[in-house]
Amino acid sequence: MRYVDEFRDAALGRALGAEILSLVEPGRHYKVMEVCGGHTHAIYKYGVDDLLPANVELVHGPGCPVCVIPMGRVDDGIALAKQPDVIFTCFGDMMRVPGSAGSLLEAKADGADVRMVYSPLDALRIAKQNPDREVVFFAIGFETTAPSTALTLKRAKTERVANFSCICSHVTIVPPLRALLESPDLRLDGFIGPGHVATVVGARPFEFIPADYGKPVVIAGFEPLDILQSIAMILRQLQEDRCEVENQYKRVVPDEGNLRALEVLAEVFELRPHFEWRGLGFISHSGLKLTPAYAELDAEVRFGVPGVRVADPKACQCGEVLKGVIKPWECKVFGTACTPERPIGTCMVSSEGACAAYYNFGRFAREREVV
Amino acid sequence: MTIVSMDEQRGLALCADAGGQRHTVEIALLADAATVVGSRVLVHAGVAIAALGALAA
Repeated sequence: MRYVDEFRDAALGRALGAEILSLVEPGRHYKVMEVCGGHTHAIYKYGVDDLLPANVELVHGPGCPVCVIPMGRVDDGIALAKQPDVIFTCFGDMMRVPGSAGSLLEAKADGADVRMVYSPLDALRIAKQNPDREVVFFAIGFETTAPSTALTLKRAKTERVANFSCICSHVTIVPPLRALLESPDLRLDGFIGPGHVATVVGARPFEFIPADYGKPVVIAGFEPLDILQSIAMILRQLQEDRCEVENQYKRVVPDEGNLRALEVLAEVFELRPHFEWRGLGFISHSGLKLTPAYAELDAEVRFGVPGVRVADPKACQCGEVLKGVIKPWECKVFGTACTPERPIGTCMVSSEGACAAYYNFGRFAREREVV
Repeated sequence: MTIVSMDEQRGLALCADAGGQRHTVEIALLADAATVVGSRVLVHAGVAIAALGALAA
């Protein structure tokens, strides 16, 4: 299949592996963060890291939409789901994320009407089919998913679907990256930029990373050769003492992003003063809420939510995993008390979560040759 | 996904995924030239956010 097969060619992958080997400086340790959970999934699904020398370390970033949702926000969703006459809709992964007293899936087992949808448009269709019930959509995700919610809210407003609303937990990627770069815990050499977010926002929002922090960024696609080529591009920048944003994913990502998507996002959403991220705490201007023009579709306004901050379980180290401070298997409960079947932390829930990727692809106990 | 048919009035397209399964997709965020039957599009949460290959050299 075009755009897929040519980016999974094993011979080309080995050639890129050799190129990467030629670019590393012996004795130097390189830490490269893949920002997006989709990259984390692809890296371990295809064994991309097996082609890297041991002194090129991939660090997992905060770009998994489900992983960054704090427990208190899950509790808010469950509180809405338990309201009488509410049909609560969300993406499948979100149903299994633990709150302080269970998950949405457990709330469903207890009698709440919680339904999995593939798209907010599905939730809107459920609202039209059930005019005597309130239908709430739990909107999560980065700038990749937010346009879908925005278009759905526009449709709901235009078509006057009065029983539809949304609890908005959309987040933006730049503020947590800046927070990570300011963190003393983490020394990074470069970033594999989030290809799908960049499809919407373009390459320019990432220019602060080389400009303010002197780190290279390569926006990357999601096939194994995309990721290998992006690592080679980062290492080449470091070798040549360059520092800029490069776009490896040119077949999809325009430098200016998707202008129509940015326009609809600006119409429907505005930045919250601050938003809580799992493991990262409160980050200024990192979350989205509905603009006053769409306030009537805001479930938080319509119903009210507890809005209580809940600390993560003591055993769970998702915060350190999300910041790249520890590897998933270094968490105290990884693979024992916390598994994809019975997750304690969010990183074990979604297929884009670093812990789930490590667990599912069994890539947590191998050694690599040191250069 | 590949666009199989268009409903221009509602801004929707019927798209087929790699396995042949069909989905209704919102196409309002793509340029008109990118939304023709046979185009490959990148879909997130039911919305096409990019046309594949549109920018490739």
